[in-house]
Amino acid sequence: MRAKQSFFKTIIFSEILKGLRLTFKHLLVGKVITEQYPHQKPTLPDGYRGVIVHLRYDDGAEICVGCSLCEAACPSHCITVESAEREDMPQKRYAKRYILDVTKCVFCGFCVQACPVDALASSKEYEMATTDKRTLMMDKEAMLTLGDQYFPIRKKRPQYSEDRFSLFKQMKEVGFPLAKKGSSG
Amino acid sequence: MELAAQLLVILIQIAAVMGVVLLHVAYLTYAERKILSDMQDRLGPMEVGPHGLLQPIADGLKLFFKEDIIPAGANKIIFSASPILVLVPALIGFAVVPFGRDSLHIGDIEITPYITDINIGVLYILAFSSLGAYGILLGGWASNSKYALLGGLRSAAQVISYELPLGLSLVGPILLSESLSMMEMTLAQGGGFWNWYVVKTTPIPFVIYMICAIAETNRLPFDLPEAESELVAGFFTEYSGMRFSFFFLAEYANMILVSCIAVVAFLGGWQAPFAFLEFIPPIVWFLAKVYFLLFFYIWLRATVPRLRFDQLMAFGWKIMLPLALVMVLGISIAKYVVTH
Repeated sequence: MRAKQSFFKTIIFSEILKGLRLTFKHLLVGKVITEQYPHQKPTLPDGYRGVIVHLRYDDGAEICVGCSLCEAACPSHCITVESAEREDMPQKRYAKRYILDVTKCVFCGFCVQACPVDALASSKEYEMATTDKRTLMMDKEAMLTLGDQYFPIRKKRPQYSEDRFSLFKQMKEVGFPLAKKGSSG
Repeated sequence: MELAAQLLVILIQIAAVMGVVLLHVAYLTYAERKILSDMQDRLGPMEVGPHGLLQPIADGLKLFFKEDIIPAGANKIIFSASPILVLVPALIGFAVVPFGRDSLHIGDIEITPYITDINIGVLYILAFSSLGAYGILLGGWASNSKYALLGGLRSAAQVISYELPLGLSLVGPILLSESLSMMEMTLAQGGGFWNWYVVKTTPIPFVIYMICAIAETNRLPFDLPEAESELVAGFFTEYSGMRFSFFFLAEYANMILVSCIAVVAFLGGWQAPFAFLEFIPPIVWFLAKVYFLLFFYIWLRATVPRLRFDQLMAFGWKIMLPLALVMVLGISIAKYVVTH
């Protein structure tokens, strides 16, 4: 009996009819699951790793201290940091030149993790297609502008004590090895 | 003068049929993409024109302006001839398809709903459709590429194996209508759907015909000659630009042609299924049936996966051919018993 049944099912193409019914159902009621990309942008999850950007403190000063740890952490060697001492605060450093080569970047976010002062962050910027490759060599200014765009809430700048400021002042006058913390008002 | 007018009418008819067929081919590609994507929960072409309606034109323009490449090792003459060898048989078959019942009279000039009604219409179409296999085989062979060669060989093997049951399945309608003319075959099926040969010959020859037609036009689930995952694109791997589009046109024109033959031979051509529905113009019925079959083709493509090559051959020779032969025998006996 069962053999007869399965033979009958074979000759009327029952399996194919089942498939045809399924596809027809999708033709009539199937919900479209694709996105019409350029017209309809996807909603990105938090923690999405787009282009790396620089952040600022709430008073507009850049956070980066030019330590080059991001450069060391970068697996694709796309970050170049050239740091220098700050004019107003001797012994404090900043990134004089900071270049992110987006053409090389693999968006791993290691630099963000490596940063000791949380100056870097992954933005949600991913539409980097361009006809001019040079625009993909981002300098610090470009990264800061992009950071302003994606991270409007900035963290508070740590306040230095009077003591610290006097040290900076002293250093400016007599140079580093002679200046001692708290030695002069 | 009389002759010149007649010639002009015929030329206009040919141009009109060609134009309509090519327009259908263009929009069949669009319909295929749209229906397929709907069945797969996608949207399909949406960019060119509203809902992508101008997509076929954009595709055609793109192919037209593409560089024409002939591979270095290819046989140039055969390589350039084979697309035409494929396209011409596909288009020439439409000459005998009767699209409607009534002729159009403008003054003395009579415009028939078919280009010509030769008394061996079915035979003519079968002959030309098997000629198309030469184009495929030669195109694959002349490309000097292993993928194209394998695709061409597969296609030739497949077309030859499925042509036999295809021809045999048409013997039923030929026996019952006692004619090879497409027009007379249609006329013999008038009066209601129970007179259609899909009912009169039992649906088995019709099913055999549909399966073989799908295999003949190299479509899923029988698209082994152009199996993308194995052979890149089969026999037209090395083709590009206009030559590629000729193969493409031929494939879709063949699809429409086999649907037209199926409609004429089994589904009563332009006849209405019920007598009271005859107020609807015959051409509408004809087109509706053809469109349904084309939709079925696309529907099947969205549903079933590709067969293995040995399965395809076994199915063709061990099941379709004996079954078609048995049906020929059965219909002949039934016809003899009924007439005597």
